[in-house]
Amino acid sequence: MTLPVLICDDSLLARKQVRKSLPEFFDADIVTAENGMQALTILRSQEIGLVFLDLTMPELDGIGVLEAIKQEAMDCFVIVISADIQPEMQKRVTELGALAFIHKPVNPEKLVLILKQYGLI
Amino acid sequence: MRRVFSEEQLDCLQELINVAMGLASNKLARFLSTFVYLQVPSIALVSSAQVSPQFDNQYSGVDSALVSQGFLGNDGLTGEAIVLYQLDNAHRIATLLGYETDSASELEMLTDISSILTTTFLNSLAEQIDNSLSYSAPRVLSSRQENVAEALLDTVCHWDLALKVDISYQLIDHSFNCDMLLLIPGEAVLTIQQILVRILEEC
Amino acid sequence: MSDNWFTSPVLEQLNSGVLVVDEQFQLVYLNTFLQRHATVQLDEVKGKSLFKVFADVPEAWLRRKFASVLELQSPSFSSWEQRQYVIKLPHMRPFTSASPFMAQNCTMLPLNDSAGRRHVCLLIEDATDAFVYQQRLQSTLQKLEYSNRIDGLTQCLNRRYWEEQLKLEVQRAQRYQQPLSLLLFDLDKFKQLNDQYGHLGGDSVLIELSARIRALLRDTDWFGRYGGEEFGIVLTNTALEGALDVAQRLCLAVSSIAVIFKEYSIQSTISVGVAQLNIMGERAHEVLIGQADVALYNAKRNGRNRVVAFSAGETEFLLKTTE
Repeated sequence: MTLPVLICDDSLLARKQVRKSLPEFFDADIVTAENGMQALTILRSQEIGLVFLDLTMPELDGIGVLEAIKQEAMDCFVIVISADIQPEMQKRVTELGALAFIHKPVNPEKLVLILKQYGLI
Repeated sequence: MRRVFSEEQLDCLQELINVAMGLASNKLARFLSTFVYLQVPSIALVSSAQVSPQFDNQYSGVDSALVSQGFLGNDGLTGEAIVLYQLDNAHRIATLLGYETDSASELEMLTDISSILTTTFLNSLAEQIDNSLSYSAPRVLSSRQENVAEALLDTVCHWDLALKVDISYQLIDHSFNCDMLLLIPGEAVLTIQQILVRILEEC
Repeated sequence: MSDNWFTSPVLEQLNSGVLVVDEQFQLVYLNTFLQRHATVQLDEVKGKSLFKVFADVPEAWLRRKFASVLELQSPSFSSWEQRQYVIKLPHMRPFTSASPFMAQNCTMLPLNDSAGRRHVCLLIEDATDAFVYQQRLQSTLQKLEYSNRIDGLTQCLNRRYWEEQLKLEVQRAQRYQQPLSLLLFDLDKFKQLNDQYGHLGGDSVLIELSARIRALLRDTDWFGRYGGEEFGIVLTNTALEGALDVAQRLCLAVSSIAVIFKEYSIQSTISVGVAQLNIMGERAHEVLIGQADVALYNAKRNGRNRVVAFSAGETEFLLKTTE
């Protein structure tokens, strides 16, 4: 079954890299957002099963998106992908309901492991 | 600098730097075990002639210090990394980090921090572009002994471009700012551009 | 690897120290340079703690440096300008320097062995030459600075520097409301003295008298040569009464003992003008000099070998003479 996936990152390169890191056999329908506000617009208007979320973005950052998802009880999984990997941040993100935290640059093998772990592939 | 790099290439460069900075700050935080927060740096690519006037405002007239370290990699990737500090709260930070409180130790602390920031940041950047770097020993200049603004001017004029990275980090209740400048020659810019093109193509 | 045939000889011949420790800071390797300078044998010290073998090493500092290299897998550095040496070793320089120990520039690098076990490599570059030259440079600069401030003949402050100090002291006295006085004096009939005993005689009188006078002054007073035979003294924290007292003593010191030059016994006297700072403003130091000058003129006019204080009634005369 095709999983609708949202990749949210202000960097074009980062969005490309996430896309590239997804395994070939991953059946996904990918949409992208450049910042938190765009992401929420998409999340509120479409069915999204999995979000790859960057933390540092203009307009609304990753934390803001996570808070909104929690508050509005949206039904989607969130995997945070970020350059900022301090333990404090990881803790915060997990508390806000993120499934996992991956640091950049994205390691494709690690990503596959996480997707398998949570039954997404 | 849009004439040098396209919008897409600049975005790519910013992302590479953000990631490198994230890794460097994490390492520094773990090592010093007191840092809490490092902001993602804003970057600007300027011609080196524009560097001094900007820094004059911030760093002349106050006690400041400059740490400079050269780096050399493959394919013509070379340059000088400069970290600039205002010294007003340096001695407090020094004690917090376990250095002694004389001015020599303050400079040693700044050298150590700069070296860590510079080498981990640049190593991480290099790794992302399949390169590796070697470094010269860091040199520190303090305004308590000489004119830092002048020294900066002397150094900068040898390079064509400057990548200005603004770093600001927070140490418990003290905020400690510094500016990092990566000075690169014209040929290295072309090398970097080729790398960015390759990365974007691979995606 | 086929490169091994030259790595050993190169390490042996290298004019820099190479030292490798493992994660517990136990010595794994010391090259010939270090073995010779430290007079140790590698097989004796292998496996021992670096800190036991080199007891002088600043342990806490070096541990921290090594830890950063191991944990961050990045290089660390130490320059002789911040810390003269890491490992205390004698240097081999033929010429003398302030320190018998080698000045060192050190680089610490992460090294992993074939099993992936972490090590630190310490590279020690002998920077003693730079160290010695720097010291000489400092010393020369100090001498240069000294000569820029000092009058070569009398060892008093030269006029330019003395006037700068006068200006600063006047500002300070104004800011902190402290009394400040100025003495201007010159040698009486100096021209005749020169004619009689020659310039060398005149010079030796100047040298001797300024030494005598300097000995009577405090560290906080500024003694400068204002002209050929004219001198000025800034007396900080001193009001007119105290200044007159000092001036009288100086007069006596000069007149009571002759200066011996060759076979001659040269008697000399000075005339002194004294003024206390009593106005505010930016040009106060100029006014003060003018007042002391007027007083000096009066001392001469009234017979020499005496002290005269500036008094307010002289103002008119002051205006005329400073035009």
